[in-house]
Amino acid sequence: MATPAAVSRHRWRRHGTSYLMLLPFLALFAGFLVWPLANSLYLSFTKFDGVTAPQFAGLENFRRLLFDDDRFRHALGNTFLYVVASVGIGTLLSLGLALAFSGPGWPHRVMRTVFFLPSVTSSIALMLLWKWIFNPGDFGLANTVVGWFGGRAVEWLATPGLTIPILVLMSVWGGMGYGMVLYVAGLGSIPQEYYEAARIDGATPWQQFRRVTLPLLRPVTTYVVVTGLIGAFQVFEAVYIVFRGTNNIGGVLDSGLMIVPYLYDQGFTHFKLGYASAIAWVLFLIIFALSMVNLRIGRALKEL
Amino acid sequence: MRRTPAAARAVLPVTLPAVLVAVLVAGLGAGCATSGTPETGQADANAPAAITWWSTGGDDESAAFQKAADLYTKSHPNVTIKVQTLSWDDAYAKLLAASTSRSGPDVISGGMTWTIQFGLRGGMVDLRKYGVEQLRAQAQPAQWKSAVSPDGTVYGIPLDMSTEALYYRTDLLEKAGIKEPPATWDELTADIGKLKDSGVKTPFGIDWGNLDWIGYFNFLYQAGGSFYTPDCKPSLGTPEAERALSFWIDLHRRYGAPTDTVTTSDALDAGTAMVYGGNWNALGIDTSKPKLKGRWAVAPLPAGPAGPTTFIGGRAVGVTSYSKHIQQAADFVKYLYTDEAVDAVNAEAKARNVAYIPPRPDKVAGSPFQPQHSEVFAKIISTGAAAPGCPGWDESAGDVAKHLQSAILGKADIKTALSEAAKVMERNAG
Repeated sequence: MATPAAVSRHRWRRHGTSYLMLLPFLALFAGFLVWPLANSLYLSFTKFDGVTAPQFAGLENFRRLLFDDDRFRHALGNTFLYVVASVGIGTLLSLGLALAFSGPGWPHRVMRTVFFLPSVTSSIALMLLWKWIFNPGDFGLANTVVGWFGGRAVEWLATPGLTIPILVLMSVWGGMGYGMVLYVAGLGSIPQEYYEAARIDGATPWQQFRRVTLPLLRPVTTYVVVTGLIGAFQVFEAVYIVFRGTNNIGGVLDSGLMIVPYLYDQGFTHFKLGYASAIAWVLFLIIFALSMVNLRIGRALKEL
Repeated sequence: MRRTPAAARAVLPVTLPAVLVAVLVAGLGAGCATSGTPETGQADANAPAAITWWSTGGDDESAAFQKAADLYTKSHPNVTIKVQTLSWDDAYAKLLAASTSRSGPDVISGGMTWTIQFGLRGGMVDLRKYGVEQLRAQAQPAQWKSAVSPDGTVYGIPLDMSTEALYYRTDLLEKAGIKEPPATWDELTADIGKLKDSGVKTPFGIDWGNLDWIGYFNFLYQAGGSFYTPDCKPSLGTPEAERALSFWIDLHRRYGAPTDTVTTSDALDAGTAMVYGGNWNALGIDTSKPKLKGRWAVAPLPAGPAGPTTFIGGRAVGVTSYSKHIQQAADFVKYLYTDEAVDAVNAEAKARNVAYIPPRPDKVAGSPFQPQHSEVFAKIISTGAAAPGCPGWDESAGDVAKHLQSAILGKADIKTALSEAAKVMERNAG
């Protein structure tokens, strides 16, 4: 029977070097992540303009945010719509692309590279390109194409009804290659014997897909959807670059206002840093809850 | 669905925004300024002073200001000044962080109202104590007024000007039989008709301020209205405000001005005959669209029923309360209005092809633009009006723009849009 003291001494002797090695990381982690996060949590309960000392305001920020801030509600609605559409469509297309290009040959490899490229390109550059594509008048690429078919020039970026579809298009186009690569890896890990067995049992290709491929891809799907949700909830560059006006961060009539751009607007153009912190934490809770639900669903399905 | 491959994002979903806010306030522990903080302990006024100026804008502009700074050092060998550039996108956050931690530059320049905002929070010096009032006579009156805080304190003074003009394609107007650019609203709409008849697809467009409050500003003031009364009560419930909005809506809906904004040079190049655009466009058109050379010109905006008033924007420059060399920094800010300094900045801006209009109307002729353009800008500036300096305006501007947009897009009628906008201004004024 070793005494606890002896155990901890033993542990220290065995792992002491490792702990020491971890110290620099832990210091940085604490200084640049844990402490700022704690700080922002504290600030979310204060009224703080960035210069004068924060005044404690209790739950006032959260009350105002959830009950009398129309713009926040609008941003929330827009964001949900955007998340559902972009994650839904994006996941389906990722899977479709993976099924189409999962082969080992070079044509497939080339296609995979092509679709994956947007994921490794600077997002700012991509957004500027989109902005150019949707340029109004006759010289934007989108309107040029519309013109070929005899259509009239569309005011892409100034039509409120088109804002979210355009944002979804940009995000799906940019993100589906990444999802595809994950799905290709997932497909590669499914043993061929399952398909042979299914074929012997007389399963059609569709049945093979429904009964073998999809269930076995579930962990990948969960990962793709959860990371997709997290990314989509925090959409910022697209809104900020493509739809930004002089005085106006969410596009025409706030049609593209999302949570993070709104947070930025409150924090860095209106000096309401306490309020902005509250928005950040509300966003955190939403994403946290949804990710939990997602993981639960993934697990529940596994037990079926 | 664009993802950062870093799975770490999954661990703490909101780290980015939270950290963004948190990093800024990391200076909290270091003690905070309160309004009306006493100024930081001053260095000996005769000791050498190294002054830093954070200038919001481009590197070329900073280089132009640096010329004035170097001249100042020539006559004040004890004082050296270094101008550093902040980009518009993150200048606000950086200046805010400097204010928070009470360490940073001695001189700052940025948006017209920034110095007031930082000043009200105790981050700026009242320049009246340093004899800045004597410069007032040299400045554009409306712009000077907009740099002054509502309580009369002067935290910053105008550093430059920007304004809006009518850019037009001389060849297209000629083809439509129009000899002179439109000088009034009525002429503008009549000319749009003529241009349409001559086969121009898009006769008119707005670049600067399209669907935004700045665009409305011009029509509002040209109609004889204003955003606020002189004592800062919202004044959008007037017949003038309605008339202005209805004209602006007509331009979009009846006369085909695009709601989607196209930059001035692109629009002219694509065959738009007349564009309302910022003065800075005048420098770039010939280089970016060589085909247009000699086929475009500039005129003041057409006058409304009450006259030709046009928006004047610009930047303000001021001295921070956490500077250790307030006396020298304030003296240098005043120096920026001398002939010597203005001429130096003008010359360097010209050499670098930077759009710069000095804060002194009498010096606009020497600005980097072609003489015929400078002449037009000087004329526009002589009847210019600046953004409302009323409490809560900055906060309201974005929302006001939204309500104006809803009228243009037919989602609200004129009266409703204006009264909703006024409500926002009312709410933020308190």
